[in-house]
Amino acid sequence: MKTMLSRESIHLVERDGTVHVVAEEYFYKTESYYTILSHEIRGVPVAPGSSAVLDAYIVPLCLERSGSAGIPVADCTISNSCAQYPAVLYGLNYFASSSEYTVVRDSAPGKETVRHITNNGKYPFCYQRLAEGENIERHVAIFGSSCSGDDEICGYARSLYDVFEIPLVTMVFVRWDDGMRLSSLAPTRYSSMSNAEKALLRAYIAQQEFL
Amino acid sequence: MSRLGIFVDRKTLSSAEQLNALIRCRDAAESMDHSVEFIFPVDIRKIPQMDALFIRARTDPMNVTYVASRTASSAGIPVIDDPSSIQICSDKINMYCHLEKHKIAIPPTKFLSKKDISPAMIRDLFERMGSPLVLKEPSTSFSLRVEKVCDAYEFQRVARRFIRMSDWIVVQGYVESTYDWRIGVLDGEMIYACKYTIPSDTFKIQDSVNGHVVYCGVESVPPGEVPGEVVRLGIDAGCAVGHGLYGVDIKNSNGDACVIEVNDNPSLEGGEDGLYPQVYHKIIAYLLER
Repeated sequence: MKTMLSRESIHLVERDGTVHVVAEEYFYKTESYYTILSHEIRGVPVAPGSSAVLDAYIVPLCLERSGSAGIPVADCTISNSCAQYPAVLYGLNYFASSSEYTVVRDSAPGKETVRHITNNGKYPFCYQRLAEGENIERHVAIFGSSCSGDDEICGYARSLYDVFEIPLVTMVFVRWDDGMRLSSLAPTRYSSMSNAEKALLRAYIAQQEFL
Repeated sequence: MSRLGIFVDRKTLSSAEQLNALIRCRDAAESMDHSVEFIFPVDIRKIPQMDALFIRARTDPMNVTYVASRTASSAGIPVIDDPSSIQICSDKINMYCHLEKHKIAIPPTKFLSKKDISPAMIRDLFERMGSPLVLKEPSTSFSLRVEKVCDAYEFQRVARRFIRMSDWIVVQGYVESTYDWRIGVLDGEMIYACKYTIPSDTFKIQDSVNGHVVYCGVESVPPGEVPGEVVRLGIDAGCAVGHGLYGVDIKNSNGDACVIEVNDNPSLEGGEDGLYPQVYHKIIAYLLER
């Protein structure tokens, strides 16, 4: 029977004594976060870990951990008010999500974006400078694999899985002519996945694919 | 001489009491021949240059204090509050799980997933845990999202509001008391004790009554006047979370002491340490002189 990838569904895949929690998102205080936590509290080996998912979705921490593991990452600056443009901007507060970023090319729209993501200067934010011609690109990683067919992206997916062990995640990259660097990790809606990605995820969930 | 970084934000500096507490901390560090640098969120890159970090801003895994704590921890720098303590104490589900695991006395407690909330479940909770019940949104602080509910209608109304912020909520039996003990614990040792007297028109240490914010009274209590079982429970509860600095809230109204919560980043600006002048010295020694 085909595994249902319905909105908010959570799948537990047990392999070699570790429970792998598959979910669209792993945000703090969500059902998936508490599923992970309850396994940890009971001493059951679980992946990803609750602290790994916190780190993964907080952009400066995601980049710090990824960079420490040798993964090329964007340079990230925390600020209260101003940024240097062009840049990609992320909120850094209780209400922010790494899936919500804004690419800003000029300072005029930049001010408005900063005002919005800092709640009028109440919270800090972080930004990554973009060079001319650089763009943002997103790819889905499934248990450290990618359906993109691009060796570089597949390499990122593998390395990021080694660091965070997140079964389903969207990798956000800054792309330029000759390469790419990691900008952030974000949740992945099942509905946004391609048929090939859904098939691969279902194979993992059904344990037809070796982890 | 070592360098102590004190992580602050705008809010920390917006109150005279907090500012005064920071100055006392800085003076204590300097009297121990250490230098102090205040670190703001934009200066987070300076953290690895410090010898220790003391966070004095509202902690939460979703805000910049967690980034500061993780940055210090990754650089191998002693930090209060450490990332694990922030993760556990900021989330009441996580915190009560740790207390239950270590068999620490807490009020009757049930965690409720949003998918489990139903009229039958609510009826069952009232039957088993009595009335009133206390509902808590897990990341509440200063009693902000803590509500007492007396019937199923109130339960549903409050729960509906809380599950917008969290997929799980906490349901607890109500423990009546006129004051809470606050035991300050550092690395398994009591470093201060005080009483938080609950305002007569609420059951929380801070509340909004008729549009006005009412605060609890704070009374520093000398060690000899704190019941032994309260001290022991406070220390055990702190140790169930970690080895950092915690403010453990305890109710002991019927002689059956139970932990209401363990707070990281405990307040020290309200006179909690009035009779314990060595509190900052102990914190600084823990961070810089072990």
